Formats: sequence, C-alpha cells, structure tokens
Amino acid sequence: MRTYEVFLKRPGKDEFRHAGSLQAVDSEMAKILARDSYCRRGEGDQMWLVDRTHIVEVDPDLLATTVDLPHRNNDGSAVAARRKRLREQAS
Amino acid sequence: MTHSWTNLDDFQTYIDGGGIVEPNDRMPEEFRSEVFRFIEFHANSELMGGLTERDWIPRAPGVRLKQIFLAKTQDEIGHAHLLYQVAADMGVKSRTEMLEDLFEGRSRFHNVFHYKAVTWADQIAIAYLVDAAAFASQRAVFAECTYGPYKRVLKRIVAEEGFHMRHGEEMLLRLTEGTDIQRTMFQEALDRWWWPAVQLFGPDSDPDDPLLRWKIKSQPNEQLRHAYIQKYVPLLQSYGFTIPDPNLHFDESADDGKGAWVTSEIDWEPLIATMRQGGPDSRRRISNAAANYADTAWVRAALEATAVPA
Repeated sequence: MRTYEVFLKRPGKDEFRHAGSLQAVDSEMAKILARDSYCRRGEGDQMWLVDRTHIVEVDPDLLATTVDLPHRNNDGSAVAARRKRLREQAS
Repeated sequence: MTHSWTNLDDFQTYIDGGGIVEPNDRMPEEFRSEVFRFIEFHANSELMGGLTERDWIPRAPGVRLKQIFLAKTQDEIGHAHLLYQVAADMGVKSRTEMLEDLFEGRSRFHNVFHYKAVTWADQIAIAYLVDAAAFASQRAVFAECTYGPYKRVLKRIVAEEGFHMRHGEEMLLRLTEGTDIQRTMFQEALDRWWWPAVQLFGPDSDPDDPLLRWKIKSQPNEQLRHAYIQKYVPLLQSYGFTIPDPNLHFDESADDGKGAWVTSEIDWEPLIATMRQGGPDSRRRISNAAANYADTAWVRAALEATAVPA
C-alpha cells in the first residue's frame, strides 16, 4: 500500500492546492480513489497525485535562514520620509 | 517550521495563542493519543453510518431517492477514508489496525449506529434528526480544531453533511405533508430516535476535558445538546409531531430569562451500553460490517497482486 498526496486545481486563476492524502496499491487505483474522495462535485478540473515517498522535504532550519533578512524587503518608509522632506523644501 | 514544546504548559500557551498543530510537530503524547482516539471514533462512525445508509438503497422509494442514498453512502464512506488517513498519519495505529479493532468490537462509534432502523421513516429520522446532531457536533469541532489535517478534512465533510441535512429535511417534509399513515410512521420513528439523537452529544463535559482545553472541541457537550433541543423541539412540534418526553416543558426563566425548552432528566444508561457494544443492534451491525470486510478481502488481495510498481 502506498500513500499519495492529492493536489487539486479549480478552473481559473487559482494555484494547485493540497487537498489531502489517500492510500492505494498503485497510481491507477489512486486516480480512481482520488476522484471519488476529493473531486465528487466538480471541485477541480486538474489533479496531481504524488507518491508521498517521492516528496523532497526541505529542512525547516534551511528556510528559517530567510526570515530575518530585512534588506530583501522595502517597506517604503525611507522613500516616504525623503518625499516628504523634498516636498517641504519645495514649498 | 516544525514545532516542539518543552512541556504541556508551553504547549497550552501555543494553543491559546491560536497555534495549529501539524503532523510533523513534536506534539505532546497526551495530545497525540487523545486526538487520535477522537478522529478514530469519528472515522468509525462515518463508516458504520455509511453501511447503515447502504442498507436502504434498494428499499428507498423511487429512483431519485435511490440515487440520493447511493451518493450519500459514497460520501460517508469517503469521509471514513479521509479520516482514517488523517488518523493513520498520527502514527498510533495503521488503517488496517483501526478497521480490525472496529470489526472485533474493540473500538467505539456513535451511539446512534447501535440501533435498528425499522421502517423507512426511521431512516428519515436518522437522515434528519440524527444527522443534524452529528452535524452540530462536527461543526463545533471544525470551528476551532487545532489539529491542522483534521480541520482541513472537516471542511470538506461539513460541506457535504450540509446538503445531506437538506435531503433529510426534504424527506421529512414529504412525510409531514403525506397521508395519516405516513405521519404515524414518522411519529413512531421519532419515538424511537429522539432520545438516541439527544444522547449523541454525550453527558456534560468534564470542565477540564483536554479536548476542550486543546481546542479540538469548541463547545462543551451540554451547550451543543441544549442548542439542539431548542432548535428541534419547536420545529418538530410545528409540524404536528410529539416529542416523546412527558416532562418536556418551556421554562420562561431558563437561559437568563430568555426561556428555554427543558427535557426530563436524561437516562445515560442506553448511551453507556452502546459504548460497550451492548446496544439493541450492536452485535448485528458490527458482525455485518466485519462480514462485509471479510467478503471483500479478495478484492484487496487482487489489487495488491496486480499493483503496478511505482
């Protein structure tokens, strides 16, 4: 028995979303079960099934290194301050 | 990120701050085992409920109702699939172990699936009154539900139960507007199912119920039961049916002067009996489910044998 992760995409601009998981003996059976469990009333028009053992999981510590990097963002406050100063100088 | 907590107080602070627990988190063992038990109970109930519903497909009057019962049965079995998967991913028991425990009578499921449905009206009482009780308690779990995978499958389950309820109500209204024989049939079914439906919510919650503390449940049993009674007593009476409770009365002073329907003291013995597989129809239902599982073993074996390697 294998475990599959089910991803479903609704028609339109939405991205594929994780819908859940299921167990099946192989991918052919998984397709039928996935339709019957996750797409019973037109919940999507595209579906991906991924064998759980094929998922490459990234260590959370690797992702944590990107949390505190303020120079990768710009909240606009420095721009606003400069604009304000220039406006005041002009008037 | 993967969460871990040093102790239960630390965990509680996380929960109180709106935290959600995911399968990879190092959750406290108490949380894992309590939540697992709760989800396993829910999964078992969906499966046993689906099997009950299936019995009525050939007996449902007319093609449209047969289609509806077929679809509902598929939905319920589908819910069981989703819930067994979420439960299995908690790493306490495999799906096969859960099914074997259920069929051996070692695990529990909702009290209402321990009773016999006698007539078509019983099935309507189940599809409307009993499903309404189950739906109310599921919605109360969905409202908070700090275990992420459970919350996500509940979203789907609650949506489907919503229109099951409408099917139930439509069927009830058909009987209500029907002949005297049909109305009598429903009254008799109501006499059989009123108390099991009320008891489904369980006795008053322990004030320190860990499932409330960890926000798996959002409301104590007694609140849900009270709300259910307030909704369904006047509704059923307005259709001309009698609630089988001689002491039922409207107390003007209850609920801080707003007034509320008050029932007799609830006898919990029937509920306790079902928890020990000692309900009126427990043995037959469990052995039928077990026989069904045994009869379909060849299908699972055939699928395994012909599986295409990944």
